[in-house]
Amino acid sequence: MGYLLTKEGVNAVLKEWAESYLIYAPVRMSGKGAFSETDSIRYAPITTVEEIEFEKKSDFPFKEVLIPLSETLFFFTEDQVTEADGPKKNAIILLRSCDLHSVKRLDEIYIKNEYEDYYYKRIRDNVKFVLMGCKNAFENCFCVDMQTNRIETYDASLEKKGDFYEMDNRFADWETVLERNGMSRRVVVPSYVTETNVHVSIPQGLSLDVSRSKIWDEYDSRCINCGRCNFVCPTCTCFSMQDIFYTDNGKIGERRRVAASCMVDGYTDVAGGGAYRQKNGQRMRFRVLHKVYDFKKRFGFHMCTGCGRCDDVCPEYISFSDCINKLGIAVKEVGGHNEE
Amino acid sequence: MDMNTKALKKNAFRVTKQRGVTASRIRVPGGHLEAKYLSVLQEIAEKYGNGTVHITSRQGFEIPGILFENMPYVNELLQPIIQGLNINQKTPGQGYPAAGTRNVTACIGNRVCPYACYDTTAFAQRIEKVIFPNDLHFKIALTGCPNDCAKVRMHDFGIMGMTEPQYDKDRCINCEACVKACKKKSVNVLKTVNYKVERYPDRCIGCGECVLACPTGAWTRGEKKLYRLTIMGRTGKKNPRLGEDFVKWIDEAGIIKIILNTYDYVTQHIDPAAPGGKEHIGYIIDRTGFEEFRKWALRDVQLPKMAEVSTPIYWQGVKY
Amino acid sequence: MKNEYRPFLSEIKEVIKHTDIEYTFRMAYDGEVKPGQFFEVSIPKFGEAPISVSGMGNNSVDLTIRRVGKVTNEVFENFVGDALFLRGPYGNGFDVNDYTNKELVVIAGGTGLSPVRGVVDYFSYHPEELKAMTLIAGFKTPKDILFMEDFGRWMKNMEVILTVDCSEDDAFCHIGLVTEYIPKLKLQDVDRAVAVVVGPPAMMRFSTQGLLAAGFREENIWISYERKMCCGLGKCGHCKIDDTYICLDGPVFNFVKGRKLID
Repeated sequence: MGYLLTKEGVNAVLKEWAESYLIYAPVRMSGKGAFSETDSIRYAPITTVEEIEFEKKSDFPFKEVLIPLSETLFFFTEDQVTEADGPKKNAIILLRSCDLHSVKRLDEIYIKNEYEDYYYKRIRDNVKFVLMGCKNAFENCFCVDMQTNRIETYDASLEKKGDFYEMDNRFADWETVLERNGMSRRVVVPSYVTETNVHVSIPQGLSLDVSRSKIWDEYDSRCINCGRCNFVCPTCTCFSMQDIFYTDNGKIGERRRVAASCMVDGYTDVAGGGAYRQKNGQRMRFRVLHKVYDFKKRFGFHMCTGCGRCDDVCPEYISFSDCINKLGIAVKEVGGHNEE
Repeated sequence: MDMNTKALKKNAFRVTKQRGVTASRIRVPGGHLEAKYLSVLQEIAEKYGNGTVHITSRQGFEIPGILFENMPYVNELLQPIIQGLNINQKTPGQGYPAAGTRNVTACIGNRVCPYACYDTTAFAQRIEKVIFPNDLHFKIALTGCPNDCAKVRMHDFGIMGMTEPQYDKDRCINCEACVKACKKKSVNVLKTVNYKVERYPDRCIGCGECVLACPTGAWTRGEKKLYRLTIMGRTGKKNPRLGEDFVKWIDEAGIIKIILNTYDYVTQHIDPAAPGGKEHIGYIIDRTGFEEFRKWALRDVQLPKMAEVSTPIYWQGVKY
Repeated sequence: MKNEYRPFLSEIKEVIKHTDIEYTFRMAYDGEVKPGQFFEVSIPKFGEAPISVSGMGNNSVDLTIRRVGKVTNEVFENFVGDALFLRGPYGNGFDVNDYTNKELVVIAGGTGLSPVRGVVDYFSYHPEELKAMTLIAGFKTPKDILFMEDFGRWMKNMEVILTVDCSEDDAFCHIGLVTEYIPKLKLQDVDRAVAVVVGPPAMMRFSTQGLLAAGFREENIWISYERKMCCGLGKCGHCKIDDTYICLDGPVFNFVKGRKLID
């Protein structure tokens, strides 16, 4: 059921939600950008609607709630392995359509793909999603081409309409709180983007053969393998394991996992010194093909959701969408073929 | 021809090689101005000068080839620049009221440069506001970060932007980008311990390379604007030398108070027989001893808790 | 829900020292396991490392560990009379049924012999299940030879070519690269002969090229990949090549698929 609410009404809803949920939303963190006197838009717990940044795309993705950048798995004492506690509270995540689409990608890796990930699942099972409508595409967005500009599978939606807010609710348990705090009922269709400035076209006939193409060579020197594109990507899921012992007492320690990047040195290192994909261009190829080719080959749909954050963040102005659009050239160059 | 050269100089004109011909010196605090003022400079140069403009080593302009008799007209034309750049003035239309305290220079700062920790021009303008007009010979420069592109260590007061890096270990994934950046581009004060990063605050110079290098936003800038204040660098004949650190992690209020205190100190201690009433502060300190200077400089200064004052200070440099 | 990341404590039943830096740890384990599968071996506070199964016994698995990193160092330092944490087994492993009633050639380089040792051992006990078997095992120097005590036994039931890259006058083995011995293989029917190749990347590349040149069919060659497997569960991403997760779909691949895996 859809509702029109005042700001106070929305805040009353948030307040009631806060009794059972931590509410995560994109917020503007003043002075937290890398350059001085610039802001960073990141996910953080909120209590009022005024804290939510509606106007800009978040710099870092919501996925940090589901797969924290650094997550403790176990604590070790001398002879015991103790599982780290999960979050105490359920979570609500406010996010845009493209990002809600990326939840499906995270689920595919962490819940499906043969094994269920215990740590992901215990958070994921207790998360509700509130869709933030998009009136216009941001710079570098290409959600329409990736077909992620609309989504129906939200629990609720929230959008500014002039001085008021519109919410659509699809989660039965929340109906009464919205009913109580809404001004009036109405049909609410969350805004969605129908046109973007950036377009991508993923060619037919892609295969690993394109790794031989010359299109990757320019990235050998342009890319600085910092991994920002991975860390801001809402669909990147890779991690590395780390064991530590606490320095003040070598007898206890923990095992954790931290986000990993296929662009950063060390990603493929094997015992004894072997490593694969040493060139940045080949790392780029690995990342790009994962997003728009091989993930789909395994799971049936593209990994990339067209949010454009990798383009937004690259300090070397390497455009992922631009690279996708070069794939056609690469296919022709190496002689495209359709795989069985 | 009769001309009071003292008055001429104080009015920011220059006695030149050529008798009866002067040059007008235009101060641009922080070295940044609206482009519209360039056409005023052009007009002055073409109408009263020889059609050329010199960009000075202190980020001002000097318009040469002006006849003494045209100074009043030049001053009138200068009025929109003096006003537009918010220069303290006694009588509108009569040009600059002093020239002893030099233009406050600055690097491009954080309006443009990714490394800069603050808006150098804006800070320069605030300093200009409290120290000008003044006949005493002070040279002050500001630079956005420890790269010191503005060469502030060659000034009486050098102000270098610093950032106190803030570390969120929960966002750190141990990619070591910061450790490498600090080692290769800065002073190597970051170390990996247990897959997280430790910083040696004593040796950290606050350049912000770690913040710039961090791909996950684990490193961010401190909220407070903090600076390194270097003092008594100088060029010149007897003993050119680089400024030494006076206070590390000082704030804006502290810097301004120290500079104002130094004006009092110089007024008290300047050699009354100094040629042209001009003596570099550094030589005064050489004479009174650092301790006397420090006493004056730090009077009523409220320093931030983390500020580190270097004392005593010994300067090096070439001695002739 | 099962926490797949939780390791279990496994008693070290025996330690067999091959070289200064390569030991086999016989670990208590009574589940099903295939040669070529791997376990994540860990010492809490030091980390996990993927180690392939080099042998199976009654209620035990052999894990041959090479001391090359932080975790394996610690394993070597602290193993005495102790236990290790394990999770697994992961991956597909070798299926001996693929080779029965055929001429089998196993080519192994260095520690590559570990994952395939179970296969060799199986057929050394069941020679009747094969038409013929040849093992070509290459090591850098005589000091690096693994499973020395096994070779004597294996020789009774198969052709064994033990070779080292270089040596100072050792009579018991050949000198040279494993690839040199491929053209010299005496096979009844190369068209139906099968081969298993495991070792360092360059050795695998040249050995498979050699086998193809010798007339082996692509589909009759199997290889095993060593990649960085942090989780073993298809999550961490490090071992992915194209749409293939080495930890889930491998590490053993038929060469028809394996040759297409470009890192």
